[in-house]
Amino acid sequence: MQSDVQFEGVHKLFGTEAAVEDLNLTVDAGEFMVLVGPSGCGKTTTLRMLAGLERPSYGRILIGEKLVNNVPPRFRDVAMVFQSYALYPHMNVYDNLAFGMRARGAAGPLVDQRVKETAEVLGLGQLLKRRPSELSGGQRQRVALGRALIRQPQVFLMDEPLSNLDAGLRVQMRAELSRLHDRFRVTTMYVTHDQVEAMTMGDRIAVMNSGRLQQVDMPETLYDNPANLFVAGFIGSPRMNFVPGQITTENGKAAVRFLGVTAPLAASSQLIGDASGGEVTVGIRPEDLMWRPAAGPDSTLTLSSEVDVVEPMGHEAYVTAVCAGQTVTSRFPPRSGVRTHERVELALNPARLHLFDARSGESILQRPVAGSAEALKSAKEAWIGRSAAGRDRQSRAPGVPSKAEEI
Amino acid sequence: MSAVETRPRANENLIVVPYRRVSMAALITNVVLILLGGFFVLPMLWMVFASLDSSPDWAIKLPSLTFANFADVIGTAGALTAFRSSLILAGTTTVITAVLAVLAAYPLSRMHIPFKRTFMLAILFASGLPVAMLIVPVYQLYVYLGWLDSLYTTAMFLAASSLPFAIWLMKNFIDAVPVELEQAAAIDGASTFRILRQVVLPLTLPGIAVTAIYTFINAWGAFIIPFVLNSNPEDQPGPIEIYNFMGSHGLFKFGDLAVFSLLFSLPVIVLYLFMSRYFSGAFNFSGAVRG
Repeated sequence: MQSDVQFEGVHKLFGTEAAVEDLNLTVDAGEFMVLVGPSGCGKTTTLRMLAGLERPSYGRILIGEKLVNNVPPRFRDVAMVFQSYALYPHMNVYDNLAFGMRARGAAGPLVDQRVKETAEVLGLGQLLKRRPSELSGGQRQRVALGRALIRQPQVFLMDEPLSNLDAGLRVQMRAELSRLHDRFRVTTMYVTHDQVEAMTMGDRIAVMNSGRLQQVDMPETLYDNPANLFVAGFIGSPRMNFVPGQITTENGKAAVRFLGVTAPLAASSQLIGDASGGEVTVGIRPEDLMWRPAAGPDSTLTLSSEVDVVEPMGHEAYVTAVCAGQTVTSRFPPRSGVRTHERVELALNPARLHLFDARSGESILQRPVAGSAEALKSAKEAWIGRSAAGRDRQSRAPGVPSKAEEI
Repeated sequence: MSAVETRPRANENLIVVPYRRVSMAALITNVVLILLGGFFVLPMLWMVFASLDSSPDWAIKLPSLTFANFADVIGTAGALTAFRSSLILAGTTTVITAVLAVLAAYPLSRMHIPFKRTFMLAILFASGLPVAMLIVPVYQLYVYLGWLDSLYTTAMFLAASSLPFAIWLMKNFIDAVPVELEQAAAIDGASTFRILRQVVLPLTLPGIAVTAIYTFINAWGAFIIPFVLNSNPEDQPGPIEIYNFMGSHGLFKFGDLAVFSLLFSLPVIVLYLFMSRYFSGAFNFSGAVRG
């Protein structure tokens, strides 16, 4: 069984500090929702409210249409993976996995069967007799995951589960988590500060900052159409370049002046809302700002600039350059031979510009995803189809205990 | 006080210089410590020698070996009674103190309680009060309640006087158990009682043991409280029995006194050794949180 999760006007105050403000968010049944934001943005508090470890100061939280504000954690039927894993140090892996089912009064043989199945899924079969202190970081992580999986809860909660792993293991576990979610399709709320985890794992991503929800969208949409300066700057690495600009008209069409050039706005884009006094912040992703010799024919704008820093990454190089007094970062091909203090020409496709109100920071330019509205539509359909297929798969997946066996 | 804080290792990240020269400060410190140590070691030395001596007196001298003193003491009923009384007194005190300290320390460690800091400081202050200060009013209270001359009621006052420190000790031990383990258990579906029984208690067991042993040792050696509150000659605990050896038997039986003292301190020494092991290495939450 899957349940959706709804936050309706949820606030959480600690004293006079608001950790979460007016949160309205729906996580669809079976969806993998990633909650991302810098530390202290309220994402963990949100997760803990859903788990029942914190009570919302105002607002309603619903799991599967049921109001859970006053339901203690043990009756919420959620499972949580803690950042610290929180394994019981005095129990072996078997007992750690079995704890939740035993607490719910499951019969011995059923517990045994489920523990073995779960251990099999996670490759813990040989470690059942070990204590947590005798496990590696990755193995502990897996036990923590197994403790959540074994219960087949309505909702999975994960609080930065990968942040204590080394880089290689993190990539591996990221893929494994995605695989597990594809297989079991349990509604998941995943908290992270790592935008790579967010982009790669989330069906949708909710970006939070200073206790407020900034934007909720599919990863590609979030990347292509950030709702405001914060989201634009937070998602994407290297960070999006921000330079001041001015809305003008050129040949009767809307255009924007920045870095000494004037760019007409693409026909497929449209201005939403009006910029205060025409003052805007222009956002340019580093990959849209290319080295002239490497740029395609769409990049009609040319910016002359002086190279400040060259950071070779192997498969590409980040070049920080100064252009009309502004520092911008661009992505160069790996062996461009460009050196510091050299003058280079940067090329830019005006259709790839992002415009934000200079004062409010809100996006004022609606751009089509991946160049066309059709792409957006089909991406959405593909996502819905994927969820449906996932649900189908769950009911037939072999070796997966069905909810009917649940106590 | 907490044994749980991980102290930084002294030699980590330090350049270790071979230690050769004896500094003046180190010399003085060591001489003073050796002198002070002598004050403690010499009486014990006397105890050991005198217990084995056929003609013991005040002096510390090499004994002319005999086990007659041991036979003498173990053969008398009084010694066994004193041991039994001490066991009842210290055992009752320990059980009462340990149970109450856990029950008091858990909410103090975990819950948000108004004026908690003030309360903890009050407890700390109480643990420093000399018991002798309270003994007269407590005696009057016991007279009023008709509680005099019983080991069990005496144990209650001993427990009351050892509780403040026991609560402090216990709170530190519970503080060291990561609260996330309890939260994980709660989300796993465990009731409060199950969380206490299966998660908190097993992890605080070393702490409970240390608190209990500490209380037991104190109660085992308690003199003034049982001396005042329990004048029943049938069940005098060990320390008072030792006092009796010295006074009321008229003639000093040095050998018997030494043997009894020696036997009486054995449980304490064993428990101390046991406790020091707990203090040094039993707290191991590794694998619970982080790596």
